Amino acid sequence: MSAGHIIQIFRRVLGPVEVAPHSDFFELGGDSLLATRVLSAIARDFGTELSWDDFIENPSPDGLFAKVTAAVR
Amino acid sequence: MNGESMRVVVVGAGLAGLTAAADLVAAGADVTVLEADDRVGGRVRGVDIADGVVADGGAAYLGIRHTELLALMREQGLNVVSTGMTGDSTFLLSDRRTTTASRVPPLDAVALGDLFDRLEELVAEIRPDKPWLSPRAEELDRLTAARWLADEIDNPDAKTFFPLFIGEMMAADPAAISVLHMAFYLRSGGGIRYLNAFEGGAQQWRIDGGAHLLCRSLADQLGDRVRLGQSVCAIDQTSAEVEVQCAPGADGTRPRYRADRVIVALPPALAQRITFRPGLRSPRATASTGPGCAVKVHLGYPAPIWREQGLSGWSVSSHGPLLSTVDDSPSDESAGVLTGFVTGSEASTFSALSDREQQDAVLAHVGRLFPQLPPPDRCTVTDWLTAKYSRGCYAALFGPGDWLRLGPTLTTPHGRVHWAGTETSIDFFGLMEGAIRSGHRVAAELVHRTGPGDAAAGVLVSSHASGADLNHSSVE
Repeated sequence: MSAGHIIQIFRRVLGPVEVAPHSDFFELGGDSLLATRVLSAIARDFGTELSWDDFIENPSPDGLFAKVTAAVR
Repeated sequence: MNGESMRVVVVGAGLAGLTAAADLVAAGADVTVLEADDRVGGRVRGVDIADGVVADGGAAYLGIRHTELLALMREQGLNVVSTGMTGDSTFLLSDRRTTTASRVPPLDAVALGDLFDRLEELVAEIRPDKPWLSPRAEELDRLTAARWLADEIDNPDAKTFFPLFIGEMMAADPAAISVLHMAFYLRSGGGIRYLNAFEGGAQQWRIDGGAHLLCRSLADQLGDRVRLGQSVCAIDQTSAEVEVQCAPGADGTRPRYRADRVIVALPPALAQRITFRPGLRSPRATASTGPGCAVKVHLGYPAPIWREQGLSGWSVSSHGPLLSTVDDSPSDESAGVLTGFVTGSEASTFSALSDREQQDAVLAHVGRLFPQLPPPDRCTVTDWLTAKYSRGCYAALFGPGDWLRLGPTLTTPHGRVHWAGTETSIDFFGLMEGAIRSGHRVAAELVHRTGPGDAAAGVLVSSHASGADLNHSSVE
C-alpha cells in the first residue's frame, strides 16, 4: 500500500478529477461528508482509523499516507 | 398542435399548478386555477420576520442543477442570494456543545463514512427513471429505513447520525419511509453529496426576497384566472367534459366549473381526498403515505451577530426541537435570521405543544446552542403538519409498499384528469425544481396529447361508458 492507493480513494470518492500526491482534498471539490468516506476507505484498506483532525491537518494523499504510516508504527 | 380554446381547470395554486397554468395560457388555453387557501404558493410561503423582512416558511433553497427553477426565476426577474455558510459549525450532541470548521458532527468519522458508503450503494441500485423496477425493488419497498438501520448498522455514532441526516434531507422519521423511497429521494435530488451540500449543492442559494415572490409573480400574470378559497371536493367526468365541484362557499352555494381537462396539482394525500366519478383505478396515496414532517422556526435578530463570533449559524443537535439551524439572513444584512428545522418525529412532538410551550422550548434550545448570543427578538413558527391545505412539507413520504403501488401510475391520467405536483416528478422529487418540471410536463401532455395521456379514454369505457363514449374517445 502506498500514497498511490490513497490517490485512487480520492478519485473514487470525488469522481473524475486529476489527483496528485500533494493535492488538497478540499481544493479538489471535496467536502466534509466525502472526507468521512475517504476515512472509512482508509480504515478498510489500511486497517488504520484516522480521525477528522488527522484528516484536516494535511488533507492530501501524501499527508494522509504519512498519518497512516505513523499510526502503524 | 396547441391548446387553443381548450378549457382547463387547474386544482392547486402551488408552484406546479401555477407553472402548468402559465404554460397553458401561453398555448392559448382557457385556464382557471382553483386554490382552497386564501393565498397562492402552497408549500412555498413567505413569513414576516421583521419590518420588511420576509423569510421562507416553506421551500427555500436551490442549486445550479435546478435548471427549470433558475429559468423561471430569470423570466420573472428574480435573483438568487447565496446561503451563508462561512464560519464554524455548532454541535450540541447529548448536551455537549462544540464548534468546528466541519459541517459534519464530531462523531466517529470512519463510522459516518461507512454509513455514507452503505447509503451510496443503495442509491446506486435505484433505477432513476422507474424506481419500482429497480432490481431489489420489492425487498427495499417493504423495508423501513429504521429497520434497515437496526439490521445493518452497528456503530452507535452512525445510529445517532442517521435520523438527523434523514430528518434534514427528507423531513422524515426513518420509521415512516421505505428504504426504496429513501434511496430514490437521495438519487432523485442529485445524489447524497449534491443534496446535502450548501456550496455547490442543492442549498447553494435562496431566492432573493423569498421564494413566495416567484409564486406571486406567476399568479399576478394569471390575474383573475386564479380563484382563492375554492376547495375542490369532487371531480365528475363524462366522455365530453369534466365538472369540478367545490365545497360550499359563504353563501351556501357550491361553485362548479366545467372543463375539457383538469389538472390536479396537489400533494398526494389531498388529491386522494377528492371524490372522483368514475372512481380512481389506482390511488394517489395509501394508508402508508405520510406527510413530510417539518416545522420551520424563524429566529429574528437585529443583525447576523453570530458571524462576528466566527460562527456560520449552522448547527446540528442530537435532540430537539431545533435539530439544525441555518443562517437565512437577508442579503443586505438588515436583520439576522436563523432558521431552525424541527423534523421527523421531533416535528410531531413539537407540533402537539401549545404556542407558549413551543416558544419556551425553542428559546431554551437556542440558549444552549448559542450561549454567547442575546435571545432572539422574534420567534415565528411555521407548522406544516397542521397546514390544512398542504398536510406536510417538504413532500409526501412514501411508506412501505407505496412505490410499487403508486409509482407506476404517478403520471397516468385518469380520463380527462391529469396529475402534477413535485411528487409526480421523478427528477428532483419533493423540491421546487420537481414541482416546476411536473408543471411543464403536464402542460405539454395536454397541449400535445402525447405520452401516457393517450390511453385516457379507457377509464370511462371500463366504468360506465356507452357506445357514444367509445366513439368519442376513438376520435380524440
